[in-house]
Amino acid sequence: MEKVNDKYDFSLYEYHNLLHQNILVSYKGPIDERIMTVIGDNIEIVTNDSTDKARSKIFKIFMELAQNVWLYSAESCTTLSGRRLGMGTLVIGEFGDSYTFVTGNVVRNTDIEPVIEKCEIINSLDRDSLREYRREQRRLAKDGKNKNSGNIGLIQVALTAESPLDIELTPVSDEESFFSIAVKIKKSNSK
Amino acid sequence: MEDIHIEGVHEAYFTPTVNFEVATGKCEISGESYLEETTKFYSRLFEWIKAYTSTIKGPLVFDFKLSYFNTSSSKCLVDILDMLKSYKNNGGDVTVNWYYDDSDEELEEVDDFILETGLQINKIPMEF
Repeated sequence: MEKVNDKYDFSLYEYHNLLHQNILVSYKGPIDERIMTVIGDNIEIVTNDSTDKARSKIFKIFMELAQNVWLYSAESCTTLSGRRLGMGTLVIGEFGDSYTFVTGNVVRNTDIEPVIEKCEIINSLDRDSLREYRREQRRLAKDGKNKNSGNIGLIQVALTAESPLDIELTPVSDEESFFSIAVKIKKSNSK
Repeated sequence: MEDIHIEGVHEAYFTPTVNFEVATGKCEISGESYLEETTKFYSRLFEWIKAYTSTIKGPLVFDFKLSYFNTSSSKCLVDILDMLKSYKNNGGDVTVNWYYDDSDEELEEVDDFILETGLQINKIPMEF
């Protein structure tokens, strides 16, 4: 970014412009239940021109994906009381007749492969098969065989969004990458 | 045995309203479920059902009226349904009513619970 003047190294105006187009909500930082409450309220406010059904979908998706960042991000901070909070980025954009919901966070390269595979499986299944996959994974989780139950959340997100999980993995170092998941939700969802 | 009466709360976390009555076997779980310690919360309900089905052995009528539950909660809900199915298999009188927000996706979820547990569930659409 260019220096707008001599006083600041950062142009808030340019940053604002970057986010202004189509972005309804953007957040970068740690995530916990209190932060989720504030973001959740924010989301409700900015989506009030869509149907109740669409808003309910966005909320469900937000709850699962935000919690995944909180629990699984490789980038974290610690509160004064010693809680570990995962850190990441969350954006809701508005493009035409859909909302796009994206979360992203740093991951360790050694950890992310199974998640990518799960996403690819999810994206390859038709709706009935995806429901069966959720039933199966939930069974496995209950029997103690599914280590990472964040994966059921991903299946739920795909089912709720009725759209594929648009995933992107960008290396940031030898050990880590930035992983993002985006889904589209139609504004005019009526059922 | 004692009844369970939990008042639902919507704060940073969402606690469902729970009313389990020993005298009548009427049980209700309603509101929203998103908890800090999901298994810990639901364990208390599992214990009640275990005690009721092994000592009281009366009829159970379960009404589920949840407007939101996260995936962690759904695992515990299936656990409850599994326990009810077991009780039914052992001759228990079980009725399960699942009230859902009238939409295709919500209906699918109940159908999936039915498929997953083999339990007969009455599906009742309602406006939340």
